[in-house]
Amino acid sequence: MSPERPFVLAPGPHLHAAETTARIMWWVNAALAPAAVWGVFVFGFPALAVIVATVAGAAAAEWLSSRALKLKPSLADGSAVCTGLLLALTLPPRLSMWMGAIGGIFAILFGKMIFGGLGMNLFNPALIGRAFLMATFPLPMTAGWAAPHRIFGGSAEAVTTATPLAALREQGVDAAMRLAGGPGSPWAGLLLGFRPGSIGEVSVVLLALGGATLFLRGIIKPTIPLSVFAGVALTTAFSGTLGLHLLSGGLWLGALFMATDYVTSPNTRDGQIVFGLTIGMLTGLIRIFGGYPEGICYAILIANTLVPALNTWFRPARVALAGAPS
Amino acid sequence: MASIPLRTFHHGGTHPPKSKEHTAERPIEPIQPSPLEVWLPLQQHIGPPATPLVKKGDRVVRGQRIAEGEAGGVPIHATITGKVKPIDKRPHPTLITTESIVIARTEDSEELEFPEDPGWRSISSEEALARIREAGIVGLGGAAYPTHRKLTLPEGVRVDILLVNGAECEPYLTSDYRLMRSAPLEIVEGALAMARILGIDRVSIGIEIDKAAAFEGLRGAAAEASRNGASVEVVPCEVRYPQGAERQLVTALTGRVVPPRALPSAVGVLVQNVATAAAVHDAVRYRKPLLDRVVTVSGDGILDPKNVLAPIGTLLAHLVSFCGGIRPDATRIIAGGPMMGRALPRLDLPLTKSMNGLLILRGRGPFERGFMACIQCGRCVEACPLGLEPDQASIRVEAGRPLETETFGALDCYECGCCTYVCPSERPLVQFMQLAKSALRRAGDLKARG
Repeated sequence: MSPERPFVLAPGPHLHAAETTARIMWWVNAALAPAAVWGVFVFGFPALAVIVATVAGAAAAEWLSSRALKLKPSLADGSAVCTGLLLALTLPPRLSMWMGAIGGIFAILFGKMIFGGLGMNLFNPALIGRAFLMATFPLPMTAGWAAPHRIFGGSAEAVTTATPLAALREQGVDAAMRLAGGPGSPWAGLLLGFRPGSIGEVSVVLLALGGATLFLRGIIKPTIPLSVFAGVALTTAFSGTLGLHLLSGGLWLGALFMATDYVTSPNTRDGQIVFGLTIGMLTGLIRIFGGYPEGICYAILIANTLVPALNTWFRPARVALAGAPS
Repeated sequence: MASIPLRTFHHGGTHPPKSKEHTAERPIEPIQPSPLEVWLPLQQHIGPPATPLVKKGDRVVRGQRIAEGEAGGVPIHATITGKVKPIDKRPHPTLITTESIVIARTEDSEELEFPEDPGWRSISSEEALARIREAGIVGLGGAAYPTHRKLTLPEGVRVDILLVNGAECEPYLTSDYRLMRSAPLEIVEGALAMARILGIDRVSIGIEIDKAAAFEGLRGAAAEASRNGASVEVVPCEVRYPQGAERQLVTALTGRVVPPRALPSAVGVLVQNVATAAAVHDAVRYRKPLLDRVVTVSGDGILDPKNVLAPIGTLLAHLVSFCGGIRPDATRIIAGGPMMGRALPRLDLPLTKSMNGLLILRGRGPFERGFMACIQCGRCVEACPLGLEPDQASIRVEAGRPLETETFGALDCYECGCCTYVCPSERPLVQFMQLAKSALRRAGDLKARG
């Protein structure tokens, strides 16, 4: 033993919990994987192409911009892949690859890097990408739906169809339920995911499984998702189609994976309840009164703007003073 | 024991791996051989340094007083028998260097005797305080504040409960645990002696429930004391860091909450560590000075982890060689526990009165990888036992706006380390809080000066 050897002098604590930001991001990616794989299974190779292109676009934008801005390389932290994957799962399965790639690039550049990178952004980057694609390519973004296939790669000439929510808006409940049905009962179709829709939104069961994984890992809490569902229920209960609203569209994807994004959601439980309810109610209102069959994308983006105010209004409780010498 | 409701604090906290298994079942071993040399810094406690009573070449006997404490300070005693070397500046674990009396061991093993005072239970408070001071006792849990001063309450302050802290919530450390197992009667008697000084009759000893053997032993000792009319309760606490922080233990055991930046006496409580209580017993009963302490030498970088009883002033290098030496790939030396302990640059440093642990660790520490941006996950806010917002404070400090951090509680932070431990972006949140605190204090000073 030589006392002269150099020992590291660092401030305490000298221990660290195992959880790191990169691990959290990769867990979110892993939790999304079943829904993504299912999307490819039911919609075939075009869906896989959209996912690959979108993730590649996001990752390339992250790598290039962090180099250009001389930031620490951040691709390995998984957050850019997460943004790309989340965006891809909100896209129609038959979208052109290059549109997906542009969406991924835009999401990273204008959703995240322009604010200063990870942790600084006001809006959910994936939804910024989606909103951009909706504005830029309205037709492919709303009409590129494919009917689901049970067999991988089968019947490449997909029947273009409407999503259940679009059908509900235009043709009524019966048409929506027929579309939701797939091979079996409409409810089973909604839950399991044999229905037209975005790549990652179709299987409520697999999204719930991913959400449950994140919950059990201590990464997300149920506060925001439950508040979102409550908000949707409050606003759609009287339309007679509550069940359809709760089980369809990107609600589960948005409530479990996007509204729970740490950076763009409030920090305290009370703030999160208001945030979630706002998202849910805006989603319901957009679906019933607005111009889109789906609504959660814009609902989350609007609610994102409230986060700084919610963080100011709802502060963590300081430990209260109590007791005195008797 | 499962039926006993466990006590704990209300908010926050975390559960780092306890890592106590390395030393928990190792009884306290006196260091062998006795150190060849001890370094006794004249500045061992908070306050002005002590004045030497010996000079170079003097022969001193273990137990002999060799320096007199200034007003409010405590004296220093020779912890081994030997010859005084030149008094000069030596390295020190926290003060970098300080004037120290160095004693080189000689062959004779003479030491002072400390016979029991048969009337020790009925001495006056003043006499008891004087004996505690004479014995050189300071807070052995880490603070090193002179114990006789802590027991002398300022005008107008009233205390009705004495808490004895046996929580030992820091990972790795088992020195208090082993002391509670080997000296429960001394701890209880020391606590009762302090209660008599304070004129109170309620003593509560808090222990984290993973130390079941210590809990049972102390309960037995407390029951024995209670037969003689005293009231000592032993309270099992949840295993949760920082259960052993003063204000957390006060809340766990009494339900009272110490106001930010105030002492526990603000809510009528005084907290003393179990090792301090045992030392007080020795001082009051035998007039025996504090000469040795139990220190846990552990970590994945030490070959044979142990609980060691060593004279104050023993060099850390000697402790380490008694414990089998360090592994060649050891990278870090920590004085104290891994959560609040301090990294040391070297091993030729003396064991101080308040050093309850010496950890030798391998591998890279949390900050050697650098840190990432705050993702506002809220884990630090949840972990903070005071409900502060280290995340928000750290972002303001990073942005060069530390004066905006008061609302996030920077001034109240006592640096337990929970926030940094849980931060997934591995941000040094405690240090951000420190920076915020010093900027706020500086601004406050400037304002006060006009």
